[in-house]
Amino acid sequence: IARQRHQKRTPDFHDKYSNAVLASGATFSIAVWTYVATQIGIEWNLSPDGRVTPKEWRDQ
Amino acid sequence: MLATRVFSLVGKRAISTSVCVRAHESVVKSEDFSLSAYVDRRDHPLPEVAHVKHLSASQKALKEKEKASWSSLSMDEKVELYRIKFKESFAEMNRGSNEWKTVVGGAMFFIGFTALIIMWQKRHVYGPLPQSFDKEWVAKQTKRMLDMKVNPIQGLASKWDYEKNEWKK
Repeated sequence: IARQRHQKRTPDFHDKYSNAVLASGATFSIAVWTYVATQIGIEWNLSPDGRVTPKEWRDQ
Repeated sequence: MLATRVFSLVGKRAISTSVCVRAHESVVKSEDFSLSAYVDRRDHPLPEVAHVKHLSASQKALKEKEKASWSSLSMDEKVELYRIKFKESFAEMNRGSNEWKTVVGGAMFFIGFTALIIMWQKRHVYGPLPQSFDKEWVAKQTKRMLDMKVNPIQGLASKWDYEKNEWKK
C-alpha cells in the first residue's frame, strides 16, 4: 500500500527559529562566560604547579 | 427510527458514544467541557468521540455507505472515514520536533545573562582581593611551601623537581 503524504505540515515556531535560538544562545553564553572567567579579575586560585615561578621570601 | 428501537440497541452496546451524545442533546444541553473530549494520545488509542462532530452532507452519505460491505469502499473513502474518526495518525502524533533546540538555546541565553550579573557584581559589590593574591605574594608563598615540603608524596612538593629547580614535566 503506497504511503500517502497528508497535507504538508506548516512549520511551527521551532522549525523556523530553533536553530538560530540554539546557535545564538550558545555563542552568547560561551562568549560572555569566557570574558567573565578571564578578564574581569576573578581569582580562581588555581594551583601554582606549572604556573608560578617561586620567589625568594626570606628577608635579606 | 422509533425511540424504543433505538433503546433496544443500547443493551447490545451497538451505539457509539458519539451517537449517544448527539441523541442526548434533545433531552438536555450539556456543556462541552463535561463531555468526553477527543484526544490524540498513544495511551488512549480509541477516544470515546470521533474527531469530526458535525458531518457535511457528503460525509453523512459516506457514513451510510460504510454500513454496507466495506469492500465497496475505495481507498480514498476509507481514508476519509479514518480522518472523520481521528485527527492525527499515530505517526503524526508521535512525530519529533525541534522544540529541544529552542529550550536548550533559551536556557543557555539565561545562563549567559547570569554572567552579566556577575560582571556587575564584581564591579559594584565585591571588595578588593586580599594582598595574599598579589602575583609577588603568591610567588613567595609558593617557594615557602616548597621549602617546607608541603604535601611531598602526591601534592604540591611532589610536583617540584628539587634537583633541577623547576616544576616537573
